Amino acid sequence: MTAKRLGAEALLELVAETFRTEIQPELGPEKRYLAAMMANALDIARRELAVEEEALAFELLDAIYEDGDGTPAQLAADIRSGLVNDASHPELRKRLKASLVNELKVRNPRFLALRGIKS
Amino acid sequence: MSKPNVAASTPARAPLDKAAFVQLQPWLARELGADRVEVVDAVLLAGGAVQQNWRLDVQVTGGPRSGQHAWVLRTDAAASLDVSLDRLSEFRCIEVAHAAGVKVAEPIAASADEALIGRPFAIQALVSGTAQGRRIVRDPGLATFGEALAGEIGRELALIHAVTPRAGVLNFLPVPVTNPSRRQVAEMRKGLDGASERRPALEYVLAWLDANAPEPAGITLVHGDFRTGNYMVDHGRLTAVLDWEFCHWGDPREDIGWFIARCWRFGNDDKVAGGIAKLASLLDGYNANAAVKVSAAELAYFEVLAAARWAAISLLQGDRFIKSGERSLELALTGLMPPEMEWDALDIIDRLAARGRVT
Repeated sequence: MTAKRLGAEALLELVAETFRTEIQPELGPEKRYLAAMMANALDIARRELAVEEEALAFELLDAIYEDGDGTPAQLAADIRSGLVNDASHPELRKRLKASLVNELKVRNPRFLALRGIKS
Repeated sequence: MSKPNVAASTPARAPLDKAAFVQLQPWLARELGADRVEVVDAVLLAGGAVQQNWRLDVQVTGGPRSGQHAWVLRTDAAASLDVSLDRLSEFRCIEVAHAAGVKVAEPIAASADEALIGRPFAIQALVSGTAQGRRIVRDPGLATFGEALAGEIGRELALIHAVTPRAGVLNFLPVPVTNPSRRQVAEMRKGLDGASERRPALEYVLAWLDANAPEPAGITLVHGDFRTGNYMVDHGRLTAVLDWEFCHWGDPREDIGWFIARCWRFGNDDKVAGGIAKLASLLDGYNANAAVKVSAAELAYFEVLAAARWAAISLLQGDRFIKSGERSLELALTGLMPPEMEWDALDIIDRLAARGRVT
């Protein structure tokens, strides 16, 4: 991918690519797992820069709370107390799954691909 | 998860070195009824995040174990956790499993006396094979040995579940007086109360588990972490069931749900039994040896329970980095995994709901 701007995203992408092509092949077997984790972490960080964290749960929270009132922590507490449930919000499970897909697009797109979900 | 609390519970300790094991020699001689025990060599093995493993080459003179032996000494790591049984309690569980005929590395001796090597430890026989989950599920020979291996595993699970609470047996493990699945949910909620993040999807899954908990299929010994990665395989045969630190009394189906959970198939998703075989192969081995038979249909609940439990544990593992300051990339990345298990759990609930089995 050609970088549009020489910023954090482009740098992280280049570091990950350089690490994979120039450094990883030089490592012994005892460091391969660590190296794979490092490359994975760089990819996650790069993808996270491309999205606003608050936006990930926005649709879910917007469907349940008045504009801007809810947080994921509040929703977690309301689900545990029984205030928010399938009866009060029939689309709850569907919306929770959609918000997880948003998170997984950043954290593990391969997980989604294995389940036939577009990321 | 008996105590889902990951606060560091012990102060950091100096690393062990080979010289430390010299102090073990007279103690081992007494424990084993030998005239003399010499630790000829000690090598630190690649270990887990929670404990150290040392290979000990030992010469025993006199007594029932006279001869040369290769043993593994397992100790707590510098910072141990409250999530698991202490080393001595785990050793007692392994002794009971060994006596019940379960394939474990033979338990040799254990002590919580910190005067010996500065920390609690347990010694077991060295067992051949690999326990690496990724290596096992990608073994080119899996097509040949996978189904039979799953049958062996089913048998081992049945032998574990044949151990039931009775006087004098593992009395330090609490026997559930309420529904064991609901008790798991309550313990997970308690653990999550101290977590850095509150997750709506996980709370939804826990609410579902609470509302849909089945009557227990009995109260038996439950290994608590029996999955691919926690048993040794040598030339396609099971050689030992490892890692008993989550052992507890509970519903035996909990172990089977944990074994087949998608998160423990290491990418071999179509091989439901731990990424190595068909579910039927595991259940055939289990049901041929178990007092209470288990059907595939009743396991969906326990797959959801397993996914929730691993989601909760992984969140708390991430907190060891983000809250407790352990500088580990593996812990940090594990802390990012909860949405994977939450999605799988919700997907199973979706399928059950579509079949009209549950709400």
